Amino acid sequence: MMLYALRNVTQRYADRVVLDIDQLEIEEGRIHALLGPNGAGKTTLLNVLGFLEAPTTGAMFFRGQPVEASRAAMLHLRRQVVLVDQHPIMFSTSVRSNIEFGLKIRKMEKAERQRVVDEVLETVGLRQFKLARAHELSGGETQRLALARALALSPRVLLCDEPTASVDAENQAVVSGLLQQINAARGTTIIFTTHDRLQAASLAQHTLVLEGGRLAATTYENSYACIWDSSGNGDLRCTLQGRVEIPSPSPPACQPTGSGRIYIDPEKISLSRIDDQGKSNQGVTGTIVLLMAEGEKIRVVVNIGVLMVVLMDRSSYREKHPLVGETVALRLSADAITLLAAPAP
Amino acid sequence: MSFFLESFSAALRLVGSLDPELLTIVRVSLSVSCIATVFAALIGIPAGFAIAYGQLPGKRILITILNTLLALPTVVIGLFVYTFISRRGIFGPLDLLYTQKAMIIGQFILIVPLIAALTVAAVSRVDERYRKTAKTLGADTWQTALVVVREGRFGIGAAVISAFGRVISEIGISMMLGGNIKGFTRTMTTAMALEYDKGSFTLAVALGLVLMALSLGMNVLFNLVQGRSAR
Repeated sequence: MMLYALRNVTQRYADRVVLDIDQLEIEEGRIHALLGPNGAGKTTLLNVLGFLEAPTTGAMFFRGQPVEASRAAMLHLRRQVVLVDQHPIMFSTSVRSNIEFGLKIRKMEKAERQRVVDEVLETVGLRQFKLARAHELSGGETQRLALARALALSPRVLLCDEPTASVDAENQAVVSGLLQQINAARGTTIIFTTHDRLQAASLAQHTLVLEGGRLAATTYENSYACIWDSSGNGDLRCTLQGRVEIPSPSPPACQPTGSGRIYIDPEKISLSRIDDQGKSNQGVTGTIVLLMAEGEKIRVVVNIGVLMVVLMDRSSYREKHPLVGETVALRLSADAITLLAAPAP
Repeated sequence: MSFFLESFSAALRLVGSLDPELLTIVRVSLSVSCIATVFAALIGIPAGFAIAYGQLPGKRILITILNTLLALPTVVIGLFVYTFISRRGIFGPLDLLYTQKAMIIGQFILIVPLIAALTVAAVSRVDERYRKTAKTLGADTWQTALVVVREGRFGIGAAVISAFGRVISEIGISMMLGGNIKGFTRTMTTAMALEYDKGSFTLAVALGLVLMALSLGMNVLFNLVQGRSAR
């Protein structure tokens, strides 16, 4: 079932459009990752999905029903969705009182509240802090308490704004594990934002990418700021992030010059090992920094001055057998590059 | 120096003996100031909260007016209230002049802006994420506002304590509207001024000691409240 459906939704602050989504559907019961650079509109979209802000224009549907912007309707919907902030703030009370807040609002009996508090604290591993002051917890513990506080309300949807961005590696694993556990055990739909493509790939069943407030048809990875330069002999070259120059096999649509943003399809990059003389046949060279199995594909991350992801099928991987630390050559096929943002002169 | 020490030791003996006249003066001071503070808090806190929390048009102008009112001299308030409650004023028939009620009205006017301005400051300092968190956890508008008040409670408490400190030590309003009538409207500050005029320093110093002790108590309380707020 479709949980959310958005049609021509925009969100404006003063004259600035921060969100502009033609069409978006989010399926119920799954984990969705929302990827995008800073300022892409991820948090704004979460606020809209959490019914904390009504969109400026457009139509929104929740479980097939149109969303009304009235205060009462938004409150009713808000009680089915909980947003956990990137830097969650705790009320200046005890851990228990923080969790009880939403339960009291829902007029739950005291005995039942106690049971829920104990259960969610057990889930996030904070039972020993039940009577502690919430402000005395560490950053990682606070993040887990914020999850517990949300979880206590048994929401239909859990929205998490960069849930692991401000915690250490140990707590990152704990929080990621909790999100999977919540989704698997309770069927809660989880939508989280992240900059971490690997986290999105490993945790989410579905990934959305935002670029400049719009949904991008790419996977966010291999998306670079780029400067085009046409040399005298007609060859077109792209300089990625101002650091790495790559040949542009075919100019997107027209012959652009100037700066813009491009996406390089990771499935349309071929990887070859450097020959014994240490020379590549063609293209750019880089060092493999990561190899990871991803479904039927093998994800190879190559450092060519910027990190570039190559997705190989398993047969190709077995044939070429690239190794971490090895220097390899990358070659872009003719239709690998997509123009994301028009070049500025 | 010996004159000061004599007055000081006599004042201490007076305080120690729980002199009835001294106790009456202290009682009048405390009751007038406490009632004025309670009424001012009932109006000033909601007003300050509404200015800080709400999306009112002209919010900055309101804050500027409040801050300006903080500098209003007590004698100006005394004069202002006098014009309304004197025999020729529109509230003259109520016979309020030279009563504790008149003093309470004057002191109320003095500290409402103070409580409102400090409440604005206290509520503005409350992290915006509290409002968002309360909303996402299902709170309605009223419940969200209560969360903001709860998180700003130490700052708001400090505003009330500060206002009490202001009225207990003021003299202009008490003198002009209360008239310094013995056993009725004589407060610590007006009594001290009178005793000074009479050249009788013992009671004046004794009252000064009590006022200082009260001020010290208020400041200790204020610091405790602020300290908790900062944590």
